[in-house]
Amino acid sequence: MTYKTKRTLIAYAFLSPAIIYFIVYFFWPIAVEFWASFRDGQPLIGESTFIGFRNYARILSDQLAIKAIKATLIYAIGSVVFTLVIALGLSALLVGPVRAKNTIRAILFFPYIISFVISALMWRAILDPYTGLLNAALVSLGLPQQFWLVNPDTAIWTLVGVSVWKDIGYAVLIYIAAIQGIPAHLYEAARMDGARRHHLFRDITLPLLMPTTLFLAVVIMIGSLQEMALPYLLTQGGPANATRLYSLHVFETAFQGLDIGYASALSFAMFMLILFITWVQFKLLHRDIKHV
Amino acid sequence: MLKSILKCSAATFLAAGVIATSASAEDIRVYFNAGHGYDTYLKVFEEFEEANPGFHVAFERYQWPDLRTKLVADFAAGNPPDLVAEPGAWVPEFAQQGLLYNLNDYVARDQAEFDYPGDWQDVSVEKNTVDGSYYGVQIHLTCATLLYNVDMLKAAGYDKPPTNWEEFREVAKATTKNGVFGFAPNAAGGYIMPWIYQNGGQFYDAETGKIAMGSDAAAGAIQFVADLIHKDHSAPVPVTGADYEGPQRLFTAGRAAMIITGPWDINPIRTGNPNLNWAVAPSLKEVEQGTLQGGVSLMVPKDAKHPEQAWDLIKRLTAVDVEVATSLQYSMTMPRKSWLESPEVQADPILGQFGACLPYSRDATLAMRQAGKYKPAIDEVINGAIDEVLYSNKPAAEVMAKAQDEANALIDNE
Repeated sequence: MTYKTKRTLIAYAFLSPAIIYFIVYFFWPIAVEFWASFRDGQPLIGESTFIGFRNYARILSDQLAIKAIKATLIYAIGSVVFTLVIALGLSALLVGPVRAKNTIRAILFFPYIISFVISALMWRAILDPYTGLLNAALVSLGLPQQFWLVNPDTAIWTLVGVSVWKDIGYAVLIYIAAIQGIPAHLYEAARMDGARRHHLFRDITLPLLMPTTLFLAVVIMIGSLQEMALPYLLTQGGPANATRLYSLHVFETAFQGLDIGYASALSFAMFMLILFITWVQFKLLHRDIKHV
Repeated sequence: MLKSILKCSAATFLAAGVIATSASAEDIRVYFNAGHGYDTYLKVFEEFEEANPGFHVAFERYQWPDLRTKLVADFAAGNPPDLVAEPGAWVPEFAQQGLLYNLNDYVARDQAEFDYPGDWQDVSVEKNTVDGSYYGVQIHLTCATLLYNVDMLKAAGYDKPPTNWEEFREVAKATTKNGVFGFAPNAAGGYIMPWIYQNGGQFYDAETGKIAMGSDAAAGAIQFVADLIHKDHSAPVPVTGADYEGPQRLFTAGRAAMIITGPWDINPIRTGNPNLNWAVAPSLKEVEQGTLQGGVSLMVPKDAKHPEQAWDLIKRLTAVDVEVATSLQYSMTMPRKSWLESPEVQADPILGQFGACLPYSRDATLAMRQAGKYKPAIDEVINGAIDEVLYSNKPAAEVMAKAQDEANALIDNE
């Protein structure tokens, strides 16, 4: 055995636990799900028959699925836009001379590390229209009571708000790191040319943060497209299915409806969408940003 | 140093030995609802273990949706538990898919000592029978009826609870004040069914094989509740969430004069506010008297490793003395005829009122499940439509007719 072959075998021996892990817990379930998505009956728990692409075609006529897709897109796009805009503003402030900025950063990051269950219970208590803290505060200020989660028109936006609250700390952390990585000489040169603070932000900070923004947009978008915990714990998809996000629909189709073949098709369709978004991410992030 | 290491090692080996001994006992895996881990049942498990040396009851408790998720995952993995509690609709569903153990042989063998189905209310046997075979045994049989705050009604000039819709509306308006609602409706779709039954409606028409939630009776009932919320302002918009305890909490806190609920809320009210002066009334009557029926059954998965022991546990858990002890301690109503006849139950005013609503209570989807036409997506469509009426104040007749067509399309597509 040559030295090179020996080194290769040793490398594979060290890699084998990871390879086995990925095969067993990642590729195999995807393969099983793909197989189940072409079957009717009980593909994983009983008898089933091959039905070709009928489960995939069914998605187009499933009113609940279409409603779930719409709600998920509103949730995902809303979460991305609000998180990025607010996080960018906060980061720009927090890199400047602000008092207690480390404490503020810690407070902003805190929601990110709280479990979804605790977050949901906390927000349920805050948002309850009759006993919640938020309405109590509004009423004490002479403002009208709001039906945050029990009004079909506001429920999804309330969910977006909770999501932004949870993710903002992470986005701020990444943005601050990125802002601090921008070469100082660019700002100095611009200042010498007479640029003001808002010009520096608009013409230097913002363009140079584009890769970070794209990265955060894609990560938050993917997380939001897969979101299930918040609607499950806060609203159970209601009222009037207004917060029935796609993952919740898939989960209920599989476990409440026992329609496992169709649920597999639904989740595989989502998998393909996320794969597409990841591909877009790679395409966009591969563009080099040069600091001239 | 060496001595202490040896001591530690010895202790570790000893502990490992103890663990190994307890692990060597055969586990009887039992899945139950988190709220039903009553002391009386834990005592039954202890007695079972004493009578069956070498067996240990591994008692796992989950909320219903999580229990179902776990069970389905277990079915998929080919490793189901030995005994499972279910919330009243899973037996026909799972039995029709060949996932449950047929209990006929056990029932026939133990007929002399365990009078099943003879001592059970007919409806509870019907729920657990599929194609003439027994696949489950009811352990709780419940119904939802009217609970009212006696002091609030008295303060508003009423000595008795309402008996029909007109009286109900009047009392609800009269008891509504700043921060107090006359009635607190529940967000769960099933809680609308008492109103629909009382108006002469039903969820599913077994004769036509169609969903009947768009009928005048059903839409009229939903509109009545919506009007209590949006026209009279005597009821709050129900709060959605992972649990359905909102109305009970408002009632317990003295912020709602009336709620409609089942015996599961008795103890939370009693412990939450021991000074609350409240009572249970018969269900309302409009066209007829009617209400929602619920309950829990026990079932044995077909691939259970210990079906014989699971059956033994079923017999012990549903023994009359256990049922009576459980209902007296936890205010739960039971399916056995001899339970209803027992003097202790007859003497309890609250249990008696709940027991009295059992005969006219109905299971909304039983007929549809037995016909093999039930799909959770139908619930989603109907509940979504009810939400549109209750939350967005859209006209019930229009919304429910549309939802009925959508739900029937789901049945037809099958």
